[in-house]
Amino acid sequence: MSNEIILMLHPTFGVLAIIASVWVFVETLNAREVNVGRIRNVGVLAAVLMWLAYIVGGYWYVVFYGADKAIINAGPWPFAHSFFMETKEHVFLMLLLLTTFLAIAVQGEVAKVKAARDLVLWVSGLVVLMGLAMEGAGAFISMGVKVALLAKPV
Amino acid sequence: MVTIQTADDATESAGATATAFGISYAITSILSALLVIWKESSESVHNALTAITGHHWVTHGVLDVIIFVVLGLVLSRMGGGIRMTGNGLIATVVGATIISGLIIAGYFL
Repeated sequence: MSNEIILMLHPTFGVLAIIASVWVFVETLNAREVNVGRIRNVGVLAAVLMWLAYIVGGYWYVVFYGADKAIINAGPWPFAHSFFMETKEHVFLMLLLLTTFLAIAVQGEVAKVKAARDLVLWVSGLVVLMGLAMEGAGAFISMGVKVALLAKPV
Repeated sequence: MVTIQTADDATESAGATATAFGISYAITSILSALLVIWKESSESVHNALTAITGHHWVTHGVLDVIIFVVLGLVLSRMGGGIRMTGNGLIATVVGATIISGLIIAGYFL
């Protein structure tokens, strides 16, 4: 039970980080002196949530994923591991750094300098797109386990 | 009263710290993608990474974070800061993300 909760916390923190990044994007489109504090706080929140997704997901991956990997590789969707998991685990490291960079970028003069504002828009947009890609890859991995278990003779 | 800086938007910078850590992110993400190919192609590299923390992926992540932070701090403390326009920095960050993603996904395809 606790293993499953750990596994569910990973995409939960990921989705919350995506939502926070969407929030940063929308606030930045309307960046003014009155909301720049909120942009900075939510940018940092996005990074904290992504780090939580990394730590929880990483713990589960290192400690528990081996059993699922064996199931996936024995099933009809081995690419759920060989492509989706392998790609996800390494692209996630970039996403982690990109979200950390977002927390740094929002500390700039977002309300006054167009270049700082454009940078935050691009970085938060990339975090959202990459985050959604990670969620999608996670769905393929889960389905890889499911179809492997369904294909097992009863 | 809101003041939006409009003087020569094409040449303005996103700020010294953001520029330094943006370049650091770009370099780190490319190096990280190349490390994926290196460790997956070489058993000795894979084993060396595993020996450091007990898991190659954990070591990979720790190396990425160390390179990103150290490089970002070094670049941000260089005299006068790194000179790069905001558009140049955006192109560097987005370009590095796309190239790194394609390297990783392409390798495992």
